[in-house]
Amino acid sequence: MSNSPDRISYKDVKPHVTTVLISVVGCVLWLADELIFALLALGLALVSFFNTKALLNRIEKTNQQRRLLEEEFRRAQKLSTVDELSAGIAHEINNPLGIIAQEAQWMQHILQSSALREVKEAADCDESLREITSQVDRCKEIVNKLLSLARDLEPVIQGVDLNDLVENIAALVEKEVRARNIEVVRDLYPNMPLVYTDPPLLRQVILNLLVNATHAIERDGTIRIASTVDNDCAHITVEDTGCGISKEDLNRIFTPFFSTKPQGKGSGLGLAICRGIVERLGGYISVSSDVGKCTNFTIHLPIKRPPKGANQHVHTTQDTDR
Amino acid sequence: MDDEVDFVETIVSRLRSKGLEAEGVYRGKEAIDLVDDKEFDVCILDVKMPGMDGIETLRELKKKKPHMEVIMLTGHGSVESGIKGLQLGAYNYVMKPVPFADLLQQMVQAYERKVIEEERMRVAESDQAPETR
Repeated sequence: MSNSPDRISYKDVKPHVTTVLISVVGCVLWLADELIFALLALGLALVSFFNTKALLNRIEKTNQQRRLLEEEFRRAQKLSTVDELSAGIAHEINNPLGIIAQEAQWMQHILQSSALREVKEAADCDESLREITSQVDRCKEIVNKLLSLARDLEPVIQGVDLNDLVENIAALVEKEVRARNIEVVRDLYPNMPLVYTDPPLLRQVILNLLVNATHAIERDGTIRIASTVDNDCAHITVEDTGCGISKEDLNRIFTPFFSTKPQGKGSGLGLAICRGIVERLGGYISVSSDVGKCTNFTIHLPIKRPPKGANQHVHTTQDTDR
Repeated sequence: MDDEVDFVETIVSRLRSKGLEAEGVYRGKEAIDLVDDKEFDVCILDVKMPGMDGIETLRELKKKKPHMEVIMLTGHGSVESGIKGLQLGAYNYVMKPVPFADLLQQMVQAYERKVIEEERMRVAESDQAPETR
């Protein structure tokens, strides 16, 4: 073997190759280690992310529920305040209205005097005063409607056959809408127990809902009236295949004076009064709608009316939260 | 109260045969005058009558005798007047023809309501009565 500097033998490079190999393997192992670590970290991060997201969703849902309950509570408080205030306000407004009417009549009387009768403008004045009196009458009518909303109609509770009650009203409506090819379908619970409620008040509500249903369907449609029972609650549903109610309007339909009917047709007090009555009966009304397809109103009533004051369930929830 | 004389007479005689006191009238005005002279528990009132119509009669009757229960009867079934009648305080709104047994049952329920309301008023009045020594 020559020791020529041009010839490099394997023996010479072996230690270097080994070192390089070891280094490469070490690198690979290190990389793998880092990769595994990175993957683990990523996995953990993803898990945390989704967990946090889920948690945040739940917190948001709970907050929403809390806001809804607060809203309900405020509304209930407001309603009872409106009830109390309305009667007071109505009487307060009636006083100045009465004075305006009296003064207008007195002015009309003065215009009849010999001094003024001949004045050219007297007839115009008389006409205007007549208009004032007529508008005052209109205001009184509106105030009376508001009073009827606020009136303390303490229900008179009697045991009633709900299916009988529903059937009577359905028959009444059915006769009237037959000409418009609207069918009134009954779907009544076969073993309906006696329900303790105020029959005339409940009749008003059901009749109102049915009339609304007939207005929603111009012609060719179906109104379904159903009764069911579960636990201690009776449910009466009025469903129509009419024009439906938009999402925006759904939140407002129970507001006094809100109306989807054209100006001058209906004062919009109907559903507000209905809700008030059902709540006085210890129940509530729910509504759902598909625009252009159908609308469903359901009255939920306790079979045995809870004792006075017990239907403020929002108070109870708040109390137990503390 | 109904302008169909036969109908009124039949109902009145059947009620009397059940041991109930009953009077029949044929015009709204007659009913309003009658309640001034006598106390009644329940009134059956036809919606469509000549002269004063049923809703106007109901309004006047309720002003004079707010605790008398009224059952509206109709042969034509105007839903709008049904709502109006119920809002004015009618107990029920029934379509003719109605079997006598059903009408009687309605009258009994209406009378029960009157009894409950009167009892409630009596209790409220006695609660408010000042103590006297």
